[in-house]
Amino acid sequence: MSALTFQLKNAPEERLDLSPLTPDRLGGLKAKDIEALAIGTTRVPVTVGDMFKVKGKDASKVVFVGTDARCDKIGDAMAEGAIVVDGNAGAYLGAGMKKGKIEVKGSAGALAGASMAGGTIDISRHAGERAGGINVGETLGMRGGVLTIGGNAGPLIGERMRRGLVIVSGDAGDYAGARMVAGTILFKRGVGANAGFGLRRGSLIFVKEPKTILPTFGDCGVLEFDYLRLLERWLRANSKPTKLGARARRLMGDMSVLGKGEMLILA
Amino acid sequence: MADLKIKGITVVETFAEAFPMVGTRIVITAPSLKWALTAAQSMTGFATSVIACGAEAGIDRILSPKETLDGRPGVAVLLFTMDADKLQRQLRNRVGQCVLTSPGSACFAGLEGEKKLKLGASLRFFGDGWQMSKVVGGRRFWRIPVMDGEFLCEATTGLTKKAVGGGNLLVLGKSYQAVLGATERAVEAISEIEGVIAPFPGGIVRSGSKVGSQYKGQIASTNHAYCPTLKAAVDTKLPLNVEAVMEIVIDGLTKESVAKAMHAGVHAVAKGGAKEGVTHITAGNYGGNLGPHHFHLKEIVA
Repeated sequence: MSALTFQLKNAPEERLDLSPLTPDRLGGLKAKDIEALAIGTTRVPVTVGDMFKVKGKDASKVVFVGTDARCDKIGDAMAEGAIVVDGNAGAYLGAGMKKGKIEVKGSAGALAGASMAGGTIDISRHAGERAGGINVGETLGMRGGVLTIGGNAGPLIGERMRRGLVIVSGDAGDYAGARMVAGTILFKRGVGANAGFGLRRGSLIFVKEPKTILPTFGDCGVLEFDYLRLLERWLRANSKPTKLGARARRLMGDMSVLGKGEMLILA
Repeated sequence: MADLKIKGITVVETFAEAFPMVGTRIVITAPSLKWALTAAQSMTGFATSVIACGAEAGIDRILSPKETLDGRPGVAVLLFTMDADKLQRQLRNRVGQCVLTSPGSACFAGLEGEKKLKLGASLRFFGDGWQMSKVVGGRRFWRIPVMDGEFLCEATTGLTKKAVGGGNLLVLGKSYQAVLGATERAVEAISEIEGVIAPFPGGIVRSGSKVGSQYKGQIASTNHAYCPTLKAAVDTKLPLNVEAVMEIVIDGLTKESVAKAMHAGVHAVAKGGAKEGVTHITAGNYGGNLGPHHFHLKEIVA
């Protein structure tokens, strides 16, 4: 069976709420029912059929073609299956997702993977602010899973993150990993100001040394970490190869809060 | 009895009687194979028999850097006891005292298992609040600060209740040297089999025991029927020309692995043939009423 495909007909005139279009919610629905689903966010009623050309049957793999930055909540709270976005995604991509896989060939808007609890999100290009951060109504950010951003990430990435792994291949904005409770963020390039602000626990791994480091982080010197070897091998086995080595400078902080977090700056 | 002969050596028609045990497997890595082996040998020391050691343990096999989670040389270790609580205690104490303490070591699960045993999940308290938990690929690891950096230790490892202890072979011969040489060869062959250990010194036990004794409080005593110096006085199992008997005890994660190890052992002993001086290969049992696993030599040889 071919994947259930939603091809955007025209650029939407309002923001769309695509949260009904996840594999677990579409399973068992007939084409007619799917086209009747409401996805509008204003007083003007908008259905799937108005905006998308729907093809294919296999709801375990959902494909979006030609979507843009107004297509919000793709894969919202999804619990199984796979979503491929051949285009851009709006805000809340995979927010609160529990399981499954989301792949975006373009960029994603704000709050991608916010408060996600499991599964994987792969964004080929950029992510907006607060990726892996706190979803609306939640008190904590990402709680599990893996979020990979191929391009740049906006400010407050991984805000109040609790568990899981975020990988940023491009530059990250200000306040990266702010108020993190635990978890891991791997930065392959630069970060903005105030990285690790309010970090309680958790690891910020920097392939390149950040331009500025908060004065509330204390230096432990360059040391060897078997954990980095373990992570490097896992990344390679999961087609995200990144050379980490085993040596890194360890800074502990943020000493203005609990201070049990760390920055590992690869040496 | 229709005893079988291989290269002139009599394979007695009998069986090895073995017992259910609980077992676990862990992987120890270190900066070099030397230090991985040092930690593994220390951890599996004084673990020949549950009679007085609390556990039976040994090295399963050496792992190349490609096979370990952190890409360093490693050693897989097996640990067996009679019940899960004892196994948990033995695992914590042995890894805590012998692996955590060994320079540069790290410790990982080596078995999926039906249930989980705590590994880093209990040793983390050594970190006194400075320990850090990291989840990589769905598996939890503890980073415990120590004086040479960090001790990386997986939170749990698997436990199997399908383990088998006490698979055994007895080698009889008219020359001491021949028996020792043949059993050494057998231990070498058994070490190639995955999921089994021969827990005694160098894999060989020269003091096979029977249950009980004439002394109160002595729970095991010498197996007089196989002592060559007592032939005239006891109901001996030995022909007059037998000079020495040595035993190989085998513990394994599954009954199949024990059978495979016994097969390899019998054929390694027989390799030298009767002319070397080995006369009989037999096995120890208690009449078949104590242990549920019976490894018949006739079937093992095939």
